[in-house]
Order: sequence, then C-alpha cells, then structure tokens
Amino acid sequence: MDTTGRWERTKVQAHVRLAAWLRSPLFRSYLRRFILLWVAGKIANGATAAVLEIQPFAFRPGTELVTFAFEIGVLVLLIKRANEDILLGNLGMSVAMVIAPLAVVQVVLSALVALLAT
Amino acid sequence: MNGAILAGDSITLSLGGRSILNSAYVDAVPGAITALVGRSGAGKTTFFNVLIGRRRPELGYVRWRGERVPHPSLAALARHGLFYHPDRPWLALHLSFVEHMALAGRIEWRAVAEEFGITPWVERKVGSLSGGELRLTELAFGFALAPAAALLDEPFRGLEPKHREEVAIALRRLASAGAAVLYADHDVESVRRTADRLFSMENGGTRLVTGFKERPLHEWYHEWPR
Repeated sequence: MDTTGRWERTKVQAHVRLAAWLRSPLFRSYLRRFILLWVAGKIANGATAAVLEIQPFAFRPGTELVTFAFEIGVLVLLIKRANEDILLGNLGMSVAMVIAPLAVVQVVLSALVALLAT
Repeated sequence: MNGAILAGDSITLSLGGRSILNSAYVDAVPGAITALVGRSGAGKTTFFNVLIGRRRPELGYVRWRGERVPHPSLAALARHGLFYHPDRPWLALHLSFVEHMALAGRIEWRAVAEEFGITPWVERKVGSLSGGELRLTELAFGFALAPAAALLDEPFRGLEPKHREEVAIALRRLASAGAAVLYADHDVESVRRTADRLFSMENGGTRLVTGFKERPLHEWYHEWPR
C-alpha cells in the first residue's frame, strides 16, 4: 500500500512563502549573522592562502563549499540554541528553505571579492 | 481507528541501553483535550520528540489522520496542520507578536490577540514579556495558524495560578475550534480539571484511563506519583 502518496496528498501548504521569508526581519537577522560568519571565514581563508603563497581572495569552489558548510553549521547551532528551529518548524519551513538563499549570498559575495582582488 | 488526527503507535525506544518507551500508544482526537500524564522522567517528552521526528523509534510509527508518516519532522507535520509547543520559549525574542504574524502571512491577527488577551503587548518584543505573557503569546501564535492538532509539552509549567487558568482556557479554545489537543503534564489535579481524555505513562508503556473525572481521585491517584 502506498501510504507515502496518501500522506503527501493531505498536505495543506507551507505557512511561509519564499518572498515573504526573504523580506522578514527573522531572515534579515540570519543574514546579518551569516555575513559576519562569511567575513570571518574569508579572513581565515585569506590568511591561510597567504601563508601558502597563493591568491588570497580567489574564488575556489571547493574551499567555498567547505567554508559554507562551516558557516551554516554555526548558524544552525545559534538558531537551535535560541529554539528558533521550533518556530521555523511550526511555520512549515525546512532547513533547506532557510539555507538556500544564504548559498546564493555566499557565492555572490565571494565572487565579488575575487573580482575586486584581481 | 477512532478519527485521531495524530497518533504515536507502538513506539519503542531505548537510550543509552535503557528502555524509555515500550510499545507506547497515544492519540489525539479532534475537538478534545487529551492529556499524557506521568512522573518527571517517565518519557513524555521523549514520546513527543518521536512524534515530531526528533527521535527515531526502534519500533512503531507516527500516524497523521490514520496514515503512517514516512519521515516525521516538525516542518513536514506543520505543513499538514500540526502546531508544537515545547517546554521552553521558542518565539524569536527580538520580534514582536505582530512581526511573527507577518512572518506567518497572517494579516488578521487582531481577533486572536483580543481572544487571548495579549493585545496590550502585541507590539513589544517577546523577549521583554513575563513568563505568563510569553506563554499566552506563543499559544495565540499557534492558534492563529489554525492547526488541526496541537502538541504541547508541559504548557502549565512554572506559571502563576492566574496564568495557568488563562492557558487552560486557551487550550479549550483550541479544542473548541476543532483542533486535536494533546499535552503532557505531571500534575494530576490540573489534568483532571482540564483534560477530556487521559493517557497515563508508566515504565515506558501507556494506557487510556477512563472515568478519571467522575471517579474519586483516591481511586486512581495512587497510580501516578506526582
């Protein structure tokens, strides 16, 4: 019996739409914290690159991915410490919906810095 | 099948080699307040954590409207109409009730605020509210989401008598609106006044208690230590 399909069909809808989420003060607070984490990550990566005598602010996809994972890990810890994961859950928001816009921010900021540094 | 909205069926779970839940069953039916009673550490919160997918049981499953939920999570269940209230503050402390409502896309919040008596502080950051005010604000937020089921872990804990009464009224409002309300508590007198249905949890197992309102307290009170 396909119970998964029947379960999916009883879904109401997410309470929060992406556009509303991006305009919300809660997202803005996560964005501020994420940018601070990004700056810290960029400084750490830049320092490491300088020691290795390679371009400090070049856009390296692998490094960006690892740094992003670390930044998101810290942000999720902060969210959980404030129990805001319960709020997000009650709003029907998955972690992916919270993280996805920040991945775009990571790529845009890092690409911009790489462009300015060359 | 009893028309339950939410149920944990045959839930078995061990933590650190110790059996916590042993084929436990609890359900919540629409329009009624169901209480899960057991002493502190009996496994009530663990059972709730299984219901919202924070703990994966060794055996058993979660049902929503009779259907087995393949991978329970709070977000997934909330999209079907569940509201969960843990035993600690969970609203964003730097936002007001009004800002939370905007986040939820609920424009018409005034009637709910009026009903829950929180109008005087809807514009204040929730981090500045007292414990009782915050609890009422959280419940009003949940009510505004119009849930099909509400799962509440110790909603009366740490509240003054005045606020306890207001929270009990809030639970009744939720049930009267058709929601299936399930809450955990260890205060049997409070449960007797508030609940319509009662499950007891002992040694990891559960059972449905009938006649707990009519029967004298001494006939069944000894079964559940405070």
